[in-house]
Amino acid sequence: MIRLTIDDREITVPEGTMIVDAAAQLGIDVPIYCYHQALGPLGACRICLVQVEKMPKLVTGCTTAVQEGMVVHTRGAAVDKGRKGVLEFLLINHPLDCPVCDKGGECFLQDYTFQYGAPAGRYDEPKIHKLKDAPINDFIIIDQERCVLCQRCVRFMGEYVGEEQLLLEGRGVDTVVATVSHQPMDSQFSGNVIDLCPVGALLSIPYRYKARPWNLEREESVCPHCPVGCTTSVTSREGHVIRVEGRPVAGRNWGWLCDRGRFGYDFGYVEKRLLNALVEGREMSAAESTRTVGRWLDAALTDRGPESVAFLVGGQQTMEEAYQVARFSQEVLPGSRTAMVRTVEGYLPSGLNGSFQDIERADVVVYIGGDPYDAVPVVHLKVRERQRANPGLKVMGVGAYELTRDFHGAKNFTVKPQHQAAFLAYALAQAGTKSQAVEHLASQLGTYVPSLLNPVTPEEIQALGRTLLESEHLVLLWDGKEPEMESVLLALRAAREDATEVLPTFGPSNWRGWERAGIPAHFASLQTIIDDAAQGKISVLFVVGADLLRDYPDREQARRALERVDHVVQVGLFLPEEVQLYHAVVPGAGWSEVYGTYTNMEGRMQVAMATVQPPGQARPLRTYLNSWAHALKKSFVLESEWDPFDDDSGDFVPRESLPELRPVTVPEPSPGTPPGSLRVVGFSLVMEGGMPSEILAPRVPRFPGRISPQDAARLGFSEQGGELQLEGTMGKISVMVAPDRRIPDGILALPYGIHGSPLNQLGEGASVKAVRLEEVSLG
Amino acid sequence: MLEGVKALAKGLGTTFKALTEPRDTIAYPEKRREYSPRFRGKHMLARDEDGHELCVGCGLCEAVCPAQAIRVVAAEAPTEKPVSWTNRYSVDYEVDLIRCIFCGMCEEACPTNAVRLTPFNELAAYNRLDMIADKEELLSPPVRR
Repeated sequence: MIRLTIDDREITVPEGTMIVDAAAQLGIDVPIYCYHQALGPLGACRICLVQVEKMPKLVTGCTTAVQEGMVVHTRGAAVDKGRKGVLEFLLINHPLDCPVCDKGGECFLQDYTFQYGAPAGRYDEPKIHKLKDAPINDFIIIDQERCVLCQRCVRFMGEYVGEEQLLLEGRGVDTVVATVSHQPMDSQFSGNVIDLCPVGALLSIPYRYKARPWNLEREESVCPHCPVGCTTSVTSREGHVIRVEGRPVAGRNWGWLCDRGRFGYDFGYVEKRLLNALVEGREMSAAESTRTVGRWLDAALTDRGPESVAFLVGGQQTMEEAYQVARFSQEVLPGSRTAMVRTVEGYLPSGLNGSFQDIERADVVVYIGGDPYDAVPVVHLKVRERQRANPGLKVMGVGAYELTRDFHGAKNFTVKPQHQAAFLAYALAQAGTKSQAVEHLASQLGTYVPSLLNPVTPEEIQALGRTLLESEHLVLLWDGKEPEMESVLLALRAAREDATEVLPTFGPSNWRGWERAGIPAHFASLQTIIDDAAQGKISVLFVVGADLLRDYPDREQARRALERVDHVVQVGLFLPEEVQLYHAVVPGAGWSEVYGTYTNMEGRMQVAMATVQPPGQARPLRTYLNSWAHALKKSFVLESEWDPFDDDSGDFVPRESLPELRPVTVPEPSPGTPPGSLRVVGFSLVMEGGMPSEILAPRVPRFPGRISPQDAARLGFSEQGGELQLEGTMGKISVMVAPDRRIPDGILALPYGIHGSPLNQLGEGASVKAVRLEEVSLG
Repeated sequence: MLEGVKALAKGLGTTFKALTEPRDTIAYPEKRREYSPRFRGKHMLARDEDGHELCVGCGLCEAVCPAQAIRVVAAEAPTEKPVSWTNRYSVDYEVDLIRCIFCGMCEEACPTNAVRLTPFNELAAYNRLDMIADKEELLSPPVRR
């Protein structure tokens, strides 16, 4: 620890702290453009000049580490003069077009010029003109004249994200920030440069000219799109959400967002948004619909009893809403059932659930089943940050295709679909541990020997098992496929001395929260309800905020269920797929319209404030529940808000003790895919699934399916890809595919929930006949 | 009795004297008073010589307005069809003349000299909505006769 004095106040900070950070701890504001704690010091902008006693000149506070006994002055004549000079240089070629600049009012160049700058410039020569208002992708516009060349954006994309898409071009006064080869930036983290830019050089296109900071209302919120639950602040003007920004939380996250979270906020205003109730094909007011639904409920109760009523919760509902459903089911219709709509079948006991802090100290990170870059993008950044801090971090992938991106020393074990649990159990058994749990697993495996799709030696498998058992800080990211994996993870935890942390990357985003609120999370409870419905045992089925046909793993069975139920009532933001199967569709309110708590993949509860009013007839769920109860003449009083926070576990959902080990099914040796066939592997893609967005439309991948380059060549596709017709035992779909070198031969990776090409029409792991439909060129 | 007559005469004397004095009132609306050119009356939005609006919708008038009488909504104009002299312009520009206190801060804050207070002060309407001057109204300022 080092003691120093800043502006006559003493502070003790750890060695290596920069002066600006030490000052910030004292609440002293030192101006900064280029420095960012996550990116480290650079010293490009020179605005953070401070005076250090016994140093001959002013020094930059962001590149000077603290030293014992240092005496720092962050204000004073010399400092102010230095900053004034720096600002004069920064403003020499600045266009001073604040009235038309979107950053105006929240711009650090404006603020510091007011604070330290000269009232007028002394530079009379003509200013250099550069590129203005040029889009660098569909969301971001660049104005090179306003840029102060702090390089935050360049360094973020290059060093932090590892996708070098921005660079500095030119020399001297002609230096500009540009995209590599002047191609549009396509990183899914591109939007962060808007937050990072301290001036108005990189601006958001959807927010362009929409508002000024003084028009805005800003509310703290949580991103609802994936299980990461990034902290955001939502800005609205005149009752419309017009912007989402990352909200850094000190000591926990930097406020990075992916483009889905940053620009996908317009789902409340898309054309598909439900504004009126639709009952048996007739539009009516939401209030009128509640009486009809109440009549159906009443009839179901008299004729067949409450057992014939079921509630399915899905989508992005808050914990409070899930709790209201659970209570409605228990109090108004005791005997009715609830479940949550799931896409994958796996379940993770809360006792195994790790947190993001575990990634920050991990030695080994293992991806199981899916790539976090696709499903939970910001977790990818967290793993990258860990590798920056600890270059020895091992990243490994166990899945049907290569999961690790460009991590140093990454190792992939490409396993056949449905073989991941058995493979991991085998690897553990090979490691030669004395653990009872692992021996139990091994006994179930019998003579099973995995065959991998990429060249891996038996020694490497053994090494994987040993790494899993022996590494000190192990973090696993599991995508929820193969429910038997739960037992493998439990056995691994039992066999390890050190903590084993698992982060579930599967959705729905808030599933852990609903579980806490009393909705059963296991896939079996959903399956029972759907199967009962398909057999005609359900009279009224409520689907709350989910699109059952899109999300349920077996689309045909879901359709049969919807067809056999007397009355299907959907409460949601959008029209579901095949709306004719629903008897009533009533408009619900969602994220940014209702206050609520969301639980992320860590099991951390975070509160999202309501920012705007729901549009049209859309009502919060509790309104419907109350009026349905009223229609049944039953009392249902939600007099107090439920407080989901627990006394002992704080922000986290309480961790429960671990369940018993269950047997691991040994997969049948698959007969090998017949020629011309592909095996389907699902993965969640945050850009593709989820809520509709017009802003994001240009970014949704045109070719969501991925096949190996060899398969693509065999099918006659060029490098861009094309349309493929797939025929399995369950059905037939056509899908756009592109070659991807990470996919092994015979595998087709397909995101869940693509509109028009639903994977659940084929089934996870199904072997499908693939026929090329037509070559599609991007032109 | 004599006292009464005296008082009456005195009063009438004042009356008849006032008949010949110059008047303090004018016969409005037939006649109108001259105001200083700096009089702060109703707002207007100015255009440049090419007919482009000067207002770029920066919202500084809105920010500075102590009575919160101004609302500005900006937008981007297509390059082939510019509205103002740059690609940013105001779609909506509303001044609530009931709220306005005619302090002139908006005029002072305007970086493009677009909003100006004219000497026009004949502000009356039959309903409150008519007292909210929209952009169209402000772009064609009334002339004081």
